Amino acid sequence: MRKGYGTTYLLVGPFLMAFALFYILPVLSAIYLSLFIKRRSLTGRSVDVFGGFANYARAFSDQDFLHSLSNVISFCAVVIPISIGAAIILALMLDEASGRIVKAGRTLLMLPYTIPVAIGSLLWGYLYSRNVSPIDFVIDHLHLPKVDFLAPNLLVGAIANVVIWAWTGYNLVGIYTALQGIPRDLYEAAKIDGAGRFAVIRHIKLPLVMPAVRVVLLFAVIGTSQIFGEPFILRSLGYVPENITPNLYIYWIAQRDANYSYSAALAVILAVIVFAITLLMFRRPVKKS
Amino acid sequence: MNYWPGSRAHNHHAEDEFKQPDLSKFHVEPGTINLEVWIWSSGFDKVVSLFEAAYPNIKIKVGNYGNDTYPKARTAFKAGTGAPDVLQVEYMMLPSFIATGGLRELSDLGGGSLQSYYVPWAWRQVSPDSKRVYSVPGDSGAVGLMYNKKIFDQYQIEVPKTWDDYAAVAEKLYKASNGKVKIGNFTATNGDWFSGLVWAAGGRFFDVKGDSVKQSLNGPVVEKVLTFWANLIKKGYVSTYAYMTPDFWNALGRGEVASGVEAVWGTGFYSSFLPAEKGDWRVAPLPEWEGNKPLVSGNWGGSSYAVTTQSKYPKAAALFCYWLNTSKQAISIYWETQSAFPTDKYANAIPELHKLDQKPADFYGGQDVFAEYSKISQGISPDWTWVPWWSYISDAFAKRVAALISGNATPKQVLDDWQQDSIEHAKNEGFDVSN
Repeated sequence: MRKGYGTTYLLVGPFLMAFALFYILPVLSAIYLSLFIKRRSLTGRSVDVFGGFANYARAFSDQDFLHSLSNVISFCAVVIPISIGAAIILALMLDEASGRIVKAGRTLLMLPYTIPVAIGSLLWGYLYSRNVSPIDFVIDHLHLPKVDFLAPNLLVGAIANVVIWAWTGYNLVGIYTALQGIPRDLYEAAKIDGAGRFAVIRHIKLPLVMPAVRVVLLFAVIGTSQIFGEPFILRSLGYVPENITPNLYIYWIAQRDANYSYSAALAVILAVIVFAITLLMFRRPVKKS
Repeated sequence: MNYWPGSRAHNHHAEDEFKQPDLSKFHVEPGTINLEVWIWSSGFDKVVSLFEAAYPNIKIKVGNYGNDTYPKARTAFKAGTGAPDVLQVEYMMLPSFIATGGLRELSDLGGGSLQSYYVPWAWRQVSPDSKRVYSVPGDSGAVGLMYNKKIFDQYQIEVPKTWDDYAAVAEKLYKASNGKVKIGNFTATNGDWFSGLVWAAGGRFFDVKGDSVKQSLNGPVVEKVLTFWANLIKKGYVSTYAYMTPDFWNALGRGEVASGVEAVWGTGFYSSFLPAEKGDWRVAPLPEWEGNKPLVSGNWGGSSYAVTTQSKYPKAAALFCYWLNTSKQAISIYWETQSAFPTDKYANAIPELHKLDQKPADFYGGQDVFAEYSKISQGISPDWTWVPWWSYISDAFAKRVAALISGNATPKQVLDDWQQDSIEHAKNEGFDVSN
C-alpha cells in the first residue's frame, strides 16, 4: 500500500521544483542551444540557424579544445596521486595521533580549502611571479637562475600545485571520517593476534577505507576536469592560455566570441566525458568489504 | 594585398586654434532624459558632472564593469534588452560590435558632420566606408617610445631614431650591464601591442570589401617586424613580460628594462605604478624603419563611444558622445584624470593639456608629453581596419609567440600558423574570409 508517499512528495517537492528549474532546465536548454550555428555578416545582426550537430563536429577538430582535454589528463596525473596520497597518509597520521594535535591538525589541514579560490590563486600567483616572489628572492641570493613558475612548461604544475594545496584537506576529511568509523574492536582483535602498528594499517585500516577513497577519488576526478578559478585568476599575473582547462575555454568562447551555441556544445561534450568516467569508476557498487 | 605605401600622404598638422562644433544644433528628445553609459575607465564622475551642468535635462548613470563590460554588452544585444544607451568600445572591438547589429548608426543624427574635427585615422575607425558612422572617436592609443633617461645617461646611450639604432643600443646596454639591463620588453602576450608596431611599419592585416575580408597576418612587413624582435629575444636583449603584471612593473622599477614601446595612455599607468621613478622617464617618437623620413606611428587601443540600438533616447545619447569628445572641458578633464589622449585634431591648442607640473608631465620630468604625442600621432596612417574576430587573433598571437620564445618555432612558422588558425576560426564563426 502506498502509504506516506504523499507526504514525501510534498516535502521533497519544493526541492525537486528548484532542482528542475535551476539545474535540469538549463541543461536541456544548453543542449538545445548547442544545435544552432551562426550565419554572419560584417555589418548586421548575426543569425542563428539550425546546424544540427555541426558544433559537435567542429569540437572534434578544434585543436584548442582537444588540447584542453589532454591537459585534464596531465592535471589528473599530478593532482590525483599527490592530493589523495597525501590525504591518506595525513589521515592515517591523524588517526594514530591523539589529544590536541588531532584538532589542531584537522583545522590546519582544512584551512587551505576554506580560502576562496580567487585569494588562494592570487597568493600563489605572487609566490610564482619571478620578480615579486620570496622564493625567487632566495633562489637569486643563492646565485641560481630565477625560476619563472608561470612559464609555459611549468604552468600546469603551478596550477596543479594550487589545486592540491586547496583540496588535500577536503580529501582528508572524507578519508579521516571513514577511518574514525572503523570499529575499535577490530584493532583489539588485531593486537591480540600480535599485529604491529603498520600491519594494522596494511591489513585493517587501508582496506576498510578504500570505499571512502573511491568516493574521494571520484570527486577529485570530476573536480580536476572542471578546474577554472585558478587559471582564470592567474591570467592577471602571467600568460595563461585560454585553453589550459576545458572550463576556461568554454567560458572564453562565450565571453570572447559570444558564440553561446558552440560554448554549450563544448560543455555538453565535457559533461558526457565526465559522466562516462563516473560510470566506469562506479560500475561496481561501493560496498564495505 | 596592397600595403600602405611608404609615402606619407596622410600626414596632417596639429591645428593652432581650438575649435568646438556647435552642439546646440543637435536637438534632443523632450523632457527629462535618463541615460545609462557603460564605461570602464575610472574617474568618469567629473566628466558626468560637467555634462549634467551643461545639459540639466539629461541625467547620466554610469555603469563601470571593467573587463566584464564587453560580455555584458554582447549578452544584452543578443537578449534584446538590458543594453546601455552609450557603450565605450575600443577601435579594434568595433567591427565585432557592429556585427552584432547592436550599435546605432549615427549618420542620420548628424554624426557625419563631425568628421572634420577628428584626425583621419580615427575617423576611418568609426566610419570604415566613409558613409555610415557607427561610433564617435574618443581617445587614442598613439604608440611612442618611453625611455628611462637615468639609465640611458648612466650607460651613455642615445635615444634610438631607427630600429637599427635600437638593436645597436640593445646590444651595447646588454653588454655594458653584463646582461642585467635590457633595452625593452616584447609584450609577447598582447596581439594589440604587436599590431600597433605593424601599423607603424606600414603593414596591414585586413582588406575589407563589402562583406568579405582578405586577411594576411603573415605578409612581408609583419615578418620583418616579428623577425626583428625575435632576434632581440633570442640574444636576450629584450624581456618578454606580460603587460601590466607585477613582474613587469617590478622589472621596470628596478631598472632592469630601460624603455617601453607604449601607447599614450600608458603615461597614466607609468606614473601610477612607478612613483619611485618619477622624473626618470621621458617620451620619444617610435623608432623608424627608414631614417630621415617624417614620423610614423601606429595605434594601440584607444576607444570610441557608441550609441546602442536599444537606446530610447538616441539623440541625447549621440549628443553626449559628441560633447564628450569635442568639448574643451571634457577633453581637459579626461586627459587630467585618465591620460586619455583625444583624437580631436584641435586638442593640442588647449593650454590646460600642456601643464608641466601635473600628471603625467611631472612624471616625465616636466616634459610636454601631450605635445610629444601630438607630434607622434600625426604619423598614424588612416589605412588600417579591424575585423570582428580580432579577439581570437589576439589570443592566438599569444599562443603562437609562446612557441617562438621557447625556441620551438621560427617567425615565419609562427606567422603562417597564426594566419591559418585565425582564418579557420573566422570561417567556423560564419564569416567570409580568405587568404
